[in-house]
Amino acid sequence: MRIGIQGVGLTGGFGSGVDSLQAALQSGKVVTQQREALHNGEVDIYPAYLASLDRLEEFIPKRALRRIDHCSRMTLLAAHLALQDAGMPESERSRIGVIIASGYGPLQTTCDFLDSYLDFGYACSSPTHFSNSVHNAAAAHLSMQLKTTAPSLTVTQFEMSVPSALLTAQQWLIEGRVDRLLFGAVDEQCEVLRYCRRQFFAAGEQGPLQPLAFSTQSAVVGEGAVFLLLTRDEVAAYGHIDEVRLGNHSVAPLSLSDDDLLILGADGHKECGRWYTQAARGHEVAAYAPFYGSFPAAAGFDLAVAALSLRDNRLYPGLASTGASTLTAATPGELNGRKLACLKFGSAGEYGLTRMSR
Amino acid sequence: MPRFAPTAITGLGSLSGAGLTLPESMESMFRGERHPHPPTRFSTDHPVSYLVLELRDSFKLPLDESENIYSRTCQLAFVAALEALTQAGWDSETLRGKRVGVCIGTTVGCALNSDDFYRAYKEGSHPDIRIMQRFMRSNPAAVIARQLRLDGPVQSVVNACSSGTDAIGIGASWLRADACDIVIAGGADELLRLTYSGFSSLMITDSQPCRPFDVSRKGLNLGEGAGLLVLESEAVRGEKELLGTVLGYGSACDAYHLTAPHPDGVGLKLALNEAFTAAGVTPADIAFVNAHGTGTPDNDRVEGRVLSEVLPGVPFLSTKGYTGHTLGAAGGIEAAFTVAFLQRGEIPANIGFTDPDPELLSTPVTGNTVIDGTIALSESLAFGGNNAVLIFGKGDH
Repeated sequence: MRIGIQGVGLTGGFGSGVDSLQAALQSGKVVTQQREALHNGEVDIYPAYLASLDRLEEFIPKRALRRIDHCSRMTLLAAHLALQDAGMPESERSRIGVIIASGYGPLQTTCDFLDSYLDFGYACSSPTHFSNSVHNAAAAHLSMQLKTTAPSLTVTQFEMSVPSALLTAQQWLIEGRVDRLLFGAVDEQCEVLRYCRRQFFAAGEQGPLQPLAFSTQSAVVGEGAVFLLLTRDEVAAYGHIDEVRLGNHSVAPLSLSDDDLLILGADGHKECGRWYTQAARGHEVAAYAPFYGSFPAAAGFDLAVAALSLRDNRLYPGLASTGASTLTAATPGELNGRKLACLKFGSAGEYGLTRMSR
Repeated sequence: MPRFAPTAITGLGSLSGAGLTLPESMESMFRGERHPHPPTRFSTDHPVSYLVLELRDSFKLPLDESENIYSRTCQLAFVAALEALTQAGWDSETLRGKRVGVCIGTTVGCALNSDDFYRAYKEGSHPDIRIMQRFMRSNPAAVIARQLRLDGPVQSVVNACSSGTDAIGIGASWLRADACDIVIAGGADELLRLTYSGFSSLMITDSQPCRPFDVSRKGLNLGEGAGLLVLESEAVRGEKELLGTVLGYGSACDAYHLTAPHPDGVGLKLALNEAFTAAGVTPADIAFVNAHGTGTPDNDRVEGRVLSEVLPGVPFLSTKGYTGHTLGAAGGIEAAFTVAFLQRGEIPANIGFTDPDPELLSTPVTGNTVIDGTIALSESLAFGGNNAVLIFGKGDH
């Protein structure tokens, strides 16, 4: 059974809302921000794609956002933008299922909780930070804001979080557990993560991000949240998810259809790059990580780009810095009914393949 | 919500403070043993020492005893997976070529929560980056899949304390969808200073052995462990012994509070109704309930009220007095126990309960109790307002 995409909402380095993403794709421009982190007396300046929360108060009063952390705020904004995009009235929101994928969960809040007892002693551990540090806090805040009692799920699988969670989302809709489902992905940037990435990758985090230059480490950290409103309806505002397939290419090689036009989840991580070159050889490929950065939930942004492309019957161009590749870069332009497939690889050959059509 | 075909269970594995294998846990519970004590694997400056249930000292981590490569959570999951797979007659060789899914619930198993690393970072020194590398390797579902070289869907569910229950319900749905032939599903969690401090900060831990559903209950004892099931499609199972079946699964969100259950049990009732419909059974068909029963005032009040309203007269117990609250592992461990209790035709006492709470209309079993029936229910309530219910059928024996 095909799953219809009725609405898209997102916030990331390009701005907030599907129009902002479309504008970025059309202009081919996204500017990273410069961040500073101080550690051990040394100032670390690095580029990052950071999400904007400017529009959140369109949907939720400031007072209601007290004690809600950045990760959950991005979640709330993207989910409300998806509902707005789908034109869904508040009266129909009480039975919307929620599934969220996150590679790292609420990193900064976990650090805040650790701060509370490392700084002030264990007896001063913060109950607010602790309860917000659980991975499903964002889903809980969303269910509470929407007053939906439908099933809720949070999945974490590092790079594979999005396709893994999408498989279950598809199944919930097919089996009739829910009629409508907000499927989302969220990850946040924080200084500890930056510190670790710097230790792992050194100058390979300075950009520009070149997703198709598979032998180069060129990841640039990002953050953001994206939601798709999914239903079983045959009529879909954007397009359909036809198939979600998960496996491990190193155990049983992935076989692709000859006509698969691939949107790769390649995001400048060299460790994952070799899998794309193996599996996608001979296929037309595109990659859009330079519009939103390198973070696990970015695979959800790939789905959003695919949905937008299907709606507009147009394959958008990547950025000029996409990079030289051993694969064949797809030619931007009209899709003319062609299907798209989002392909995401993890570092050990795990893959998620999501086939989509208008 | 349609009725679903039963899903075959062919293997069970469990380790916790109650025992290092499922048979060992069963025997100790029916002997009425429990061994809570102050934590030995970490220290804090808490003015009160809260009791926990750790794995016995003799337990050795199988993949990496020093925990430099894989987290303890991942290794607990792997141990339970091997126990369940062995019972089901599988090993890494015989699984080759099969489509095998892994769906594991956890809470701390996927969080960047090393206080040693973070303390060093805060102090401005350079923390041991191997701790971060271990974190990046230590996704419980992915570790099982990689160790056994499996090809199929892999998912770590992080729905707080209902994670293990949700993982089994999701794993069964993958078989129905023909996404794989076999699923290893359940939950795993280790005991950490972080969770110990967190639950202490919420003032829901007990310095005495926990007392689920008792009028004097003060809070939970944390625990650690893993509980996993092997689920198989009928085509793969063939004539293999059926240990039990997953008959139904339901879940719902309270949409009420981040850490407290809805006072009327709104989400729990919805989850129960969905599970009954999916299983095609009624409350009258249920032989016993393996309750969440943490021993916290709020949880047991809400759960006790819902049980007396929805399942009046049905025997129930909490096994958390034996295992402690193992968080994301709890649903997996309690699922394995529930299937094993059905096989045995008997449930152990709800240890820790002596005096009824006048607010609750029903009381748990106080001694080992023979059960009458072939269908049982296990339920989990969680932070975030999650509620999840599994209904199991008895197997061949």
